[in-house]
Amino acid sequence: MMDVIQQLREQAKKLLEEKKVDLVIGFGQGTELARTTPVFIDSPEGVSKLTWGPFCANNLAKYLTDYKNAPGNIAVVVKGCDSRSINRLLDDNQISRDKVVIIGVPCSGQLEWQKVAAEIKPGASLKETADNGDSFSVKTDAGDYKFDKKDYLLHRCLVCENPNPVVSDLTIGKEQPVKNYEDRFAEVQALEQMSTEEKNAYWDKQFSRCLRCYACRNVCSVCTCQICVFDQMLPMWVSKRTNLSENTAFHLTRAFHVAGRCVDCGECDRVCPMDIPLRKLNQKIHKDLGDLFESPTPGTKPGLASPLGEFSPGDPEEFM
Amino acid sequence: MEARIVNKGQLSELLDKLAKDYDLIAPIQEETVTLFRKISGAKDAFLEYTNSDISPKGCFLPQNEKTLSYMYTGDTLEIDKPEGAKKTVLFGARPCDIKAILTLDPVFEGEKFGDEYYSSKRESTVIIGLSCSKVLSTCFCYAFEGGPCDGTGSDLLFTEIGDKYYVEVNTEKGKALADAYSQIFSSQGADQLAKDKEELAKKLAGEFVRKVDLTGVKELLDKNFELAYWSGDDQKKCIGCGTCTYVCPTCHCFDIFDYTTGDFNGDRLRCWDSCMYPEYTLCAGGHNPRPTRKERVRNRFMHKLKYHLDRYNMVGCVGCGRCVKKCPVNIDITKIINDLKEVAQNA
Amino acid sequence: MLKRLLEYVGFEPGRFQARWISGSEGAKFASTIKDMTEKIKSLGPNKKMRDDIL
Repeated sequence: MMDVIQQLREQAKKLLEEKKVDLVIGFGQGTELARTTPVFIDSPEGVSKLTWGPFCANNLAKYLTDYKNAPGNIAVVVKGCDSRSINRLLDDNQISRDKVVIIGVPCSGQLEWQKVAAEIKPGASLKETADNGDSFSVKTDAGDYKFDKKDYLLHRCLVCENPNPVVSDLTIGKEQPVKNYEDRFAEVQALEQMSTEEKNAYWDKQFSRCLRCYACRNVCSVCTCQICVFDQMLPMWVSKRTNLSENTAFHLTRAFHVAGRCVDCGECDRVCPMDIPLRKLNQKIHKDLGDLFESPTPGTKPGLASPLGEFSPGDPEEFM
Repeated sequence: MEARIVNKGQLSELLDKLAKDYDLIAPIQEETVTLFRKISGAKDAFLEYTNSDISPKGCFLPQNEKTLSYMYTGDTLEIDKPEGAKKTVLFGARPCDIKAILTLDPVFEGEKFGDEYYSSKRESTVIIGLSCSKVLSTCFCYAFEGGPCDGTGSDLLFTEIGDKYYVEVNTEKGKALADAYSQIFSSQGADQLAKDKEELAKKLAGEFVRKVDLTGVKELLDKNFELAYWSGDDQKKCIGCGTCTYVCPTCHCFDIFDYTTGDFNGDRLRCWDSCMYPEYTLCAGGHNPRPTRKERVRNRFMHKLKYHLDRYNMVGCVGCGRCVKKCPVNIDITKIINDLKEVAQNA
Repeated sequence: MLKRLLEYVGFEPGRFQARWISGSEGAKFASTIKDMTEKIKSLGPNKKMRDDIL
């Protein structure tokens, strides 16, 4: 990964030096060995902060709307899944294409940092990471480790649709092979098979745990409303009270508000402090959109119409 | 200080008895998450945890609390207040979380503004602490004079040593409980284990990997409300969720509102709120004194590192590391403390 | 889509129904409502998302 990091820094430096952009948003080393954190670089000297590896889970496209009205251009580092967000934001007119320089990095999967951290000696610092196909090697000053992808990858990476960015201005690193996952919706199908009572019990248990910290909403790259329905005081659609009824209302509304726009980046699922399997809600919608409207995952191509935002005479008409 | 011994084999018996005689609140595991809930016996308890995902502060400040209910029956308005708290035992709280309860005490039990809901629960609850057996890479309780085996604030503190628990009796309340179950709490041979516990504490104290140095931080914040530092990366990367405040064992902001259930009937509720939400400081008329994430991020850390000290002479952080672990974008209070220390040195 | 999502999280099939009826289709409206009412009655009171008192 060292060559990718080197090239990333060079390209970012060039963009900043040539004043093509005023800001580069990328990944920097976090405060845990197995974590990165978003970095915001506005000078060529700052590019040494940039890094890359199997710990870059965040979807940085999220931040683009923060700079929608700021002067100057912005470069952003994106993985394949994150690049779908960019297409979606462009299609929603949330950002303008000429303001953004997209630095795409093909990605061979991201590791779940808590699982990795549990194996590594506390306090060790990271030297280097390398991709061996089925595993990642992680070299630290306290020894070398190897993490098998099938055991340590983030859930979402196990059925990755776009390892390579679907939109980018410059691509850094080797193109990754695209795999076809037939059982992409296996978990959703398993839930669908359950009886009404079982489904009810399953989701009641998940939703009752919710703290309503709104991390799932706030981390979402396509949640772009200026005032969210859940923040409105008058009328107060859902109250601050956390009970099963209000939590269910929140989760169903959140999932449905991004139906047809959710790019399946899986960030909501990753950030939930209570490990509520939010992606199973969004994936259900993806599956139905595919079944009913033959709609691909939003963002996979530029200019894809939102399946719920347009009408075609061939649409199924179950409600007539 | 008195000490007792509980054989590990007898712990289930103790928990079953406590669950019968008290409301017993203990850590449980729900899927992958560890949290504190009322349990009906030892079978529900989950004690092999390092640090629960959610702290036990909810025992005293629940996320949802009914403060009164009102009924309007034509011409009279009836107000019902909930009964006082039941006899409760909080079992298995970690030393950092118990210390966090001590930082909440002056907020809710101050001379001027006592809070009966909080103090009624506080008085009727016996806190049984459980020393840590492992230090996580995110832990830094040592920086605030705490420790993995520190009994401050607990009524009884259990420390696992071999096949026994060494139990320190720290208060009269704790002693009364130990005496009530004297067939389980034996006083023989406790002295010998005291040394083992000392050694365990010393060993664990050496395992912290996070360096946290508060030198000069408070003084810097005292003099500077505005610092260029607050315009830096932290406020840019903050996504404005409330995770840090909801998992924090010392955060205690709440919102009070009426929840109407009939025409004129309803409950007055007190629910957790978070200073990271934009509408938290939104005033009638539309003004917001903390309009952007910069002010909100600054407020959270100013509260932890300065305001709580100003008001109660206690740091508002206990080093449990939950916000470090759970923040979606890796905003880290230990980094902020160390950065501020550097800013102070260079000033 | 919404109907499918609701059934996925445990609402009974048929608890949520949507129909498209024009203002000039009085008879269709009446028979649809009749069907809906029967269906809902046979399902009994909704148990999901009831507002529990604290």
